[in-house]
Amino acid sequence: MTMVTRTVRWIMRQHWTFIAGLLSGTIVALLLITAPVMSLHDPVAQDLSMRLQGPGGDHWLGNDQLGRDLWARLLYGGRFSVVVAALTLVLSVTIGTLIGAWCGRVGGAIDEFVMRVVDVLISFPEIIVALFLIAIIGPGFGTLVLALTLVGWTPFARLARGIALDISARDYIVAAEVLGCTRTFILLRHVIPNALRPISAMTFLRFGHKLITVGALSYLGLGIQPPDSDWGAMLADARQFAVRQPLLVFAPGIAIMVTALSVTLMGQGLEIDADRSRRLRTGES
Amino acid sequence: MERFLLKRAIVLVVTLTLVSFLAFLVPWLGDTDPARAIIRSRVADLALDSAAVEALRIRLGLDQPLLHQFFAWLGRVFQGDLGLSFTSRLPVADQILRAIGVSATLALSALLLALAIALPVGTLAAVHQGRRFDGIVTFIAQGFVSIPEYWLAPVLVLLFAVELGWLPSAGWSGFETLILPAAVLCLRPLAYFSQVMRASMIDVLHANYILAARSRGLGLAGALVRHGLRNGIQPVLTVFALWLAGLLGGSVVVEVIFAIPGMGRLIYSAVINNDMPMLQGSIICIVGLAIIINTAADVLYGVLNPTVTVSGDAR
Repeated sequence: MTMVTRTVRWIMRQHWTFIAGLLSGTIVALLLITAPVMSLHDPVAQDLSMRLQGPGGDHWLGNDQLGRDLWARLLYGGRFSVVVAALTLVLSVTIGTLIGAWCGRVGGAIDEFVMRVVDVLISFPEIIVALFLIAIIGPGFGTLVLALTLVGWTPFARLARGIALDISARDYIVAAEVLGCTRTFILLRHVIPNALRPISAMTFLRFGHKLITVGALSYLGLGIQPPDSDWGAMLADARQFAVRQPLLVFAPGIAIMVTALSVTLMGQGLEIDADRSRRLRTGES
Repeated sequence: MERFLLKRAIVLVVTLTLVSFLAFLVPWLGDTDPARAIIRSRVADLALDSAAVEALRIRLGLDQPLLHQFFAWLGRVFQGDLGLSFTSRLPVADQILRAIGVSATLALSALLLALAIALPVGTLAAVHQGRRFDGIVTFIAQGFVSIPEYWLAPVLVLLFAVELGWLPSAGWSGFETLILPAAVLCLRPLAYFSQVMRASMIDVLHANYILAARSRGLGLAGALVRHGLRNGIQPVLTVFALWLAGLLGGSVVVEVIFAIPGMGRLIYSAVINNDMPMLQGSIICIVGLAIIINTAADVLYGVLNPTVTVSGDAR
């Protein structure tokens, strides 16, 4: 119980943008998880008599060019992009933090080499890496996750390395070394826990970008493959019907925007919080 | 300085060689036989004549050992010969050169536009730190980051090209066709530049030289313009370089939507058509450019800020 009250108190102390982001982000997540309950229609069931219908009656947001229910497609379509974005982030964070913190502790030639690799990769657009990989191994879920992780770990490595270097000079690390703690122990016990707050802030801040990139590849026809569909693919399908039924273009676009923005707002809140707690610890004003 | 440049030059050569090797391997990594792929890309889906495949394999040297082929290929690359495109049968190097020019024009227009807006906005947000103006700017910046280009571009086309008829909806034939794509592309860098500028100007505002300038009777605006900007702009220039490197090829979606013949669209159609020489050439060019631009940014950083030497240690 104390855990819950503490979390609630912590949330209430945050900036209103964080709370707004948390609320809308939770709503989006709940809608996507409960998609089968929230929509009465099958997202792939076609009904040509209902082509390009506006909102109303049974179909809350109307129907697309093949008479499929837009609301249902919106709910099911979000699942793919959000899962790919979240999965790549989890992989990127894990790999990046471990590599970065390790480099920061080990230093020397390994550190230099890895950081040069990071320098090259970090300016490389994810979408280009994804295009090259698609050319080699074909489009699909695995290709997307691999491509986005291949570049995605670099900013986390840089951040974790900086933090590792920063705390290496602290007394408690020196004390731990004197006590004979192993490098791995210090890494897992001291370096990683210290890096958690800023890293989780960055994770949330990168989410929007990932979501948009996944959608971009689907928009180009290289992400999710038919008959499955996501928000990017829906936008691509809707383009030629934009004049007759603008909602087909607006709905998926706004879905991406709301999702990306709410996670970004949460990230910003976490960043402010991480900054505040760091200042409290180090005694800066 | 010389040591730094030498070190960077070595990194450049090593990375490019590694990347070239990866690029060279591209056709072998997939499960398609290169000789078959070449013929298939020319004659669509006819049944392949195995004698023709063998003849082509010998003519292109594809029967030689892999490393032998790599050095032969690398030798040609160093002479600027990236081979012929599978689909257009034109030299890859010429096409890439033309496309990079187009992408650079587009990227520079978008980034300069973003910079022109971000500098004053970021500075003002820093001056008003913690107040309403600052909050609004941050919120709008986050909104901009959350807008997908493939949504904004069609909406702007619908508004300015279809409804109002003020601007062309696509193409690449002069200033008018540049406006919409540059506007779409500039939003995300604008958001980043203004936030970086804000953070850096907040540091500048607390610096002693600003206090000194103000105590000499200079107004805040005067002190910022004469002493603050030069220092505050440096982190923004680093981010600018990163974005420039990223947009040469990274603006795939915008180039495809607006039918702009740049690097992004070139790579996209190469992927769609399985055009291997084109893919190999573009990997090498993009990575090379990214490293060169980043090195140039580091050197420029040192020139603008003489207190740090480029190798990172203070003088």
